[in-house]
Amino acid sequence: MNELLALSVSGLNFSYPDRPGVLRGVELRVSPGERVGVIGPNGAGKTTLFHLLCGVLRPASGQVELFGKPVIPGEFRPEIGLVFQNPDDQLFCPSVRDDVAFGPQNMGLPQKEVRARVTAALETTGTLELADRPPHHLSGGEKRMVAIAGVLAMRPRLIAYDEPSASLDIRSRRRLIRFLQGSGETFLLSSHDLELVLEVCDRVLLMDEGRIVAEGAPRELLGDTGLMETHGLEKPHSLTPHTAPHHEPRRT
Amino acid sequence: MKTSLDGYSHLDSPLHRWEPRLKLIGLLALISAFAFVRELYLLPAMLAAALALLLLSRLPVRFVLRRLRYPGIFILALAVILPLFSGETVLLSAGPLALHQEGLLEFLVIAARFAAILAVGIVLFGTAPLLTNIRALRSLGLPSLLTDMMLFTYRYLHELATDLRAMQTAMRLRGFRAVKPDARSLGGLASLSGSLLVRSYERSEHVYRAMTLRGYGREPRAPEDRQITPRDTAALLCTLTAAAAFVAAEVAL
Amino acid sequence: MHLPDGILPVSVLAAGYAATGAVTWYSMRRIGREEDPREGIPKASLLTAAFFVASLIHIPVPPTSVHLILNGLLGVVLGWYAFPAVLVGLFFQAVMFQHGGLTTLGVNAAVIGGPALLAYGIFRLRRLRPASRTLTGVLGFLGGAAGVGITVLLLFALLITTIPAELDAAAERTAIYALVLAHVPLMLIEGVFTAMVVLFLLRVRPELLGEKRRPPEVAVR
Repeated sequence: MNELLALSVSGLNFSYPDRPGVLRGVELRVSPGERVGVIGPNGAGKTTLFHLLCGVLRPASGQVELFGKPVIPGEFRPEIGLVFQNPDDQLFCPSVRDDVAFGPQNMGLPQKEVRARVTAALETTGTLELADRPPHHLSGGEKRMVAIAGVLAMRPRLIAYDEPSASLDIRSRRRLIRFLQGSGETFLLSSHDLELVLEVCDRVLLMDEGRIVAEGAPRELLGDTGLMETHGLEKPHSLTPHTAPHHEPRRT
Repeated sequence: MKTSLDGYSHLDSPLHRWEPRLKLIGLLALISAFAFVRELYLLPAMLAAALALLLLSRLPVRFVLRRLRYPGIFILALAVILPLFSGETVLLSAGPLALHQEGLLEFLVIAARFAAILAVGIVLFGTAPLLTNIRALRSLGLPSLLTDMMLFTYRYLHELATDLRAMQTAMRLRGFRAVKPDARSLGGLASLSGSLLVRSYERSEHVYRAMTLRGYGREPRAPEDRQITPRDTAALLCTLTAAAAFVAAEVAL
Repeated sequence: MHLPDGILPVSVLAAGYAATGAVTWYSMRRIGREEDPREGIPKASLLTAAFFVASLIHIPVPPTSVHLILNGLLGVVLGWYAFPAVLVGLFFQAVMFQHGGLTTLGVNAAVIGGPALLAYGIFRLRRLRPASRTLTGVLGFLGGAAGVGITVLLLFALLITTIPAELDAAAERTAIYALVLAHVPLMLIEGVFTAMVVLFLLRVRPELLGEKRRPPEVAVR
């Protein structure tokens, strides 16, 4: 029955040598096509969880299965892609085109296929005109979209976006949201940008202190003032009932 | 890159309490004196002196042993090479292999010197925060270009190591495996190194701007050194005497 | 690749410190003459840290893997700062990892930093044809290969002439030749690697190779 799931995580525990209990018994199932938001305060374990899903880290105990096949730490699994929080961690080739081609080439695809995928990924992310520039010179928003293109070019079936809207300006953020709304992939997305989560996700997990403490539909979960405040978060402004004219300056 | 170099600098021992500048002079003199030692008869005394300092410093044994492990490999290699290939007096022989007396003695001297010097070095840099030692070096007259570079380099080592790890992870997730030194692998690793250089260069420009904004480059304030007590001076005199004794004994013997 | 404490006789250690002191002094004079060291220090230090970290990258050479020394590249990028940078880097390796040693710091710095300056000298021939990528690549290769090659040569010459009590001169020479020959593949790898990094920098950040600063491309848009 697990073949039906894109991702299945059971009893996942993880500690760093100097930080015990980073993840404590995480259970998670994601079906193909789902867009799952992961929210929670800094240090809740979101990034660590993503790294465990990709097999970058080795869990202390527990198991991660991608499309029915267990993830072995260190093994190359092109069916999952990770978009790093800091795009500079990901971009390192002398040109954008080379960078996007890096993954497909490592998958051993023929040159023609690599070229086609690079062009397609650059087109999808709206970065085709940057193809010959060194990624080191791009703006923050451009770097983000190129980093996403580098992952898309590998055609992963599940993508983990770690804080994709961090330090983006309004226009780049809007572009990212449009892109995510239009993307067909299954994805997990961690963010402090709760409005973004509301706009692009159809399920939300709330993490705190290494556990998934709540799970549900975005509008309900994010709208639960008590729950949000217990875990150091705030209910997004757009979910406040706009009955009273609290947007106008207060008159005295 | 986990480094607990000065992880035990908060302990309390006579060596932790010793004024850092005098400690640097004293222990560096002792280390230099140890480098002079070639006489077998002096080895026990040298090792005893080093051990005494280690015990006095109260640094945990495990911490010290862990630091001896890596360079120990080099010494181990010498332990194999020297007795086999160096010298003429054969002690033992098995087929084409022969154990030579001169090589063996040579090895003993090297191993003892190595252990003693390293132990004192560990005491020196393990009993005070590294920044304290760098400041002491500055106040002892090491050019500020060197001490400034030390402070900056130390400050950014961990950050750059983290950057490198993140970039390597990102490469691995996109299927990069370097298994042989072919153009692809070398090219990937060269771009990785180049990116690391570019990132650190760009960061240095920001750092420099932020520093000038906070007044970097003006005449630095005189560093406030710790008061030197008679006890500090006495410890220095003891150490210098011991160092001189080793050199004198070596020359006399 | 660095000599640990305890191995070399004290005369060699002293000579190492003397050489290192002299070259450091001269480097500092050149630095003081050419530019504002206050601006150079943060740059050189961050690059020193980056080199320190980059030397942890494994290059696979089946059946094992090697660490590059990168002293040629360091010379090419840091110029007159290369020698102080090597000294600072080796100091940290000695006190943090016991890699190298305090008494051998002078010898190690001379053996690694000297060839770095030589690589810098080689790379400066680029002035002949600054626009040529080929020349840049070739000089990068030569700098990288010469950097590690001369370091290896000096290192083995030192080790073999000073340690074993009784070895005849001919045998010593043969041993040095053999050990250096065994390192030719490493020289080639280091040379190719240096050339690749240099060409990368030329494309992405030519200022790092001492080129005049040009406005970053982002600003153009």
